[in-house]
Amino acid sequence: MDRRLDRDRPAIGTRRLTLALAALPVAFLGYLFVYPVGRVLWLALAGEPGTAFARVLADPRMRGSAWFTLWQAGLSTALTLLAAFPLTWAVARYRFWGRRLVRALVTVPFVLPTVVVGTAFVALGLDGSLAAILAAHVFYNMAVVVRTVGGLWSRLDPDLVDSARALGASPWRAFRTVTLPLLRPAIAAASSIVFLFTFTSFGVVLILGNLRWRTIEVEIYHQAITFLRLPAAGALAVLQMVGVTAILVLYSRYQERRAVRMRLVAEHQTLRRPTGVRLKAAVAAAVLGTTAAVMIPLGGLLAASFANGGAGWRFLTQPGPLATRPVEAIGNSLAFAAVATLMAVVVGTLSALVVSRGSGLVSRWFDVVLMLPLGTSAVTIGFGFLVALDRPVDLRATWILVPLAHALVAVPFVVRAAAPILRSVRPEVREAATMLGASPRRVFAEIDLPIVARAVAVGAGFAAAISLGEFGATSFIVRPNTITIPTLIFRLLSRPGSVSFAAAMAMAVLLAVLTAALIMAVDRVRAGEVGSF
Amino acid sequence: MLQTTGLVKRFDGVEALAGVDLTVGDGEVVAVLGPSGSGKSTLLRVVAGLERPDAGRVLWNGEDVTDVPPHLRRFGLMFQSYALFPHLTVAGNVAFGLRMMGLSPDEVARRTEEALRWVDLDGFGDRPVEGLSGGEQQRVALARTLAPEPRLVMLDEPLGALDRNLRERLVVDTRRLLRERGATALYVTHDHAEADAVADRVAIMRNGRICQTGALEEIRRDPADDWVADFVGAP
Repeated sequence: MDRRLDRDRPAIGTRRLTLALAALPVAFLGYLFVYPVGRVLWLALAGEPGTAFARVLADPRMRGSAWFTLWQAGLSTALTLLAAFPLTWAVARYRFWGRRLVRALVTVPFVLPTVVVGTAFVALGLDGSLAAILAAHVFYNMAVVVRTVGGLWSRLDPDLVDSARALGASPWRAFRTVTLPLLRPAIAAASSIVFLFTFTSFGVVLILGNLRWRTIEVEIYHQAITFLRLPAAGALAVLQMVGVTAILVLYSRYQERRAVRMRLVAEHQTLRRPTGVRLKAAVAAAVLGTTAAVMIPLGGLLAASFANGGAGWRFLTQPGPLATRPVEAIGNSLAFAAVATLMAVVVGTLSALVVSRGSGLVSRWFDVVLMLPLGTSAVTIGFGFLVALDRPVDLRATWILVPLAHALVAVPFVVRAAAPILRSVRPEVREAATMLGASPRRVFAEIDLPIVARAVAVGAGFAAAISLGEFGATSFIVRPNTITIPTLIFRLLSRPGSVSFAAAMAMAVLLAVLTAALIMAVDRVRAGEVGSF
Repeated sequence: MLQTTGLVKRFDGVEALAGVDLTVGDGEVVAVLGPSGSGKSTLLRVVAGLERPDAGRVLWNGEDVTDVPPHLRRFGLMFQSYALFPHLTVAGNVAFGLRMMGLSPDEVARRTEEALRWVDLDGFGDRPVEGLSGGEQQRVALARTLAPEPRLVMLDEPLGALDRNLRERLVVDTRRLLRERGATALYVTHDHAEADAVADRVAIMRNGRICQTGALEEIRRDPADDWVADFVGAP
């Protein structure tokens, strides 16, 4: 036991322990994130400097994809704001029967895997059209607007609008001159998130775009997998990273500006009962319209899975049009989810401990690095795995590659779930354990670990849901023997024939149910005992 | 016997302790009395080993323990916030220090029950600490601190978070407990009545220094300077 105390810090937070905890996450991120992304960069920059970029920029096909990525993201964002407005208004202002239910309902598409969302619009017979892509993006992202903008709106002091009205403003004028400016930061935040999601949209566009509509993400996939033009794919990935970084920078600018000083009040003080026939009808229309918008694609998916006399469901256990039987894909997905969750929980928990223990440079720097995979598209991660993980041993032929990619995508979510709970443990609690004779290692085992256990349960639920639905990275690295539910759905959809179609629908329903069950379980753990610490 | 010599602790250049010499004899209860910000809590944390002094030594029976890590000093510290372990029951909290001593499970259980009896909490063992009242939490924290029979008991405003009525009752219990255990104790408070009721001797602290020590009655009769006279309310 080291008997000398560190001069600068309380004796209890030994820096050596922090560094030891950080070792595994650093190695994990280094090998699975920094190194592969570095190889992608190298691909794009190697050879004659700038040739890969010059070729990409000169190619009308890729210019088209880049331009499409931008304008469809802008259009999707605008449409999402418009479509979400009625429900946002209704739940932010009024108290009515089913208010919480409809708020939960609109969140359902957001937690579904993108493959399920894409498949639902295929079920409606809309694939191949621009309208389908835009509709799917709106369907998927409405929750962001309802939650972000509605959350602030419902807490604005109603006296503000009342004062404007008393000063002679019409309801519309009061909204335009008072409410809207106050909501602007929330609208900006929601817009940038929706823009980011649709800018990096992969699964939805790959499934619904029918090769005609391609985002940069989809273009990277085609260049790398279909045409094997790796430098071009690398250059696109770099352009994509630049775009994402720019969006994130803008977003954090908005976040800072958000610091408008205003008094927020509790939601129950602002909500009113809708009065008058016209108002009641408007609220009802907003609620019913949104409910229909959410239920129609989901209902269509369910109905399509039973088309053809239930052939899709029967096919799940039988050999069918593809070499891999669906039941094997389901087995793979469950096994990968288990392995990926285990890895994400170990790495994520260690990372959360590092972030929450120290206030030093190590943990602050570490916090930033941890979030990098969040700002990198899954496609880039999958591409990086494909070009980089042949060294020091060739992992690409092994099944472990898929859960590794899933774990990498999930780690930031585990950290976000665990770190706040760890931080909420006051330092005195650890010091009290020390004073009762616990060594730093013992404090960790007896205090930190048990308290984080529940946060880990939440993180594990998210990790499993992410792994089950992960498509972007998996589509690059999947092999016939490691096919997963989402990748099999995609293969089935690319094949002609009504059995393939029905089978894809049935698997999408199964995936949706699995994901929803996991998210609901996580919600219960979170609402229950974690909050009571 | 605890002895500190010339303890200095600076935070960002500001001296929280400016050379503290203090002695606590075996079985003696010394109250450190001073206004907030006078360095009382820092003194406890330095003696506990949670903070390292910039100068000066901490001695136990003449042996220098300044470089001994806090968990090996066998000193007990009760925090003003109690710092109960939120994931453990009442008994789990009290048993913690006993388990760290490596006692057998039977021995841990026996001494945990005994400690809970000291503070009239027998039968509370299986409860989660969350639902307890402030007074009950205080008693759990006290039992937890005393159960492993530390060589030195330190209490940082142990009654500070309670309302007046409860404080007056619990100060008597705390005093009785410390006496019965024959504890050597350092008791930090800003309340004169509490210091007087609990301690054999009072050390008046101001701006990181001990200005005067003695029985509170003596200090009142013969204060070292005008500030002390004013602070203790000398006639």
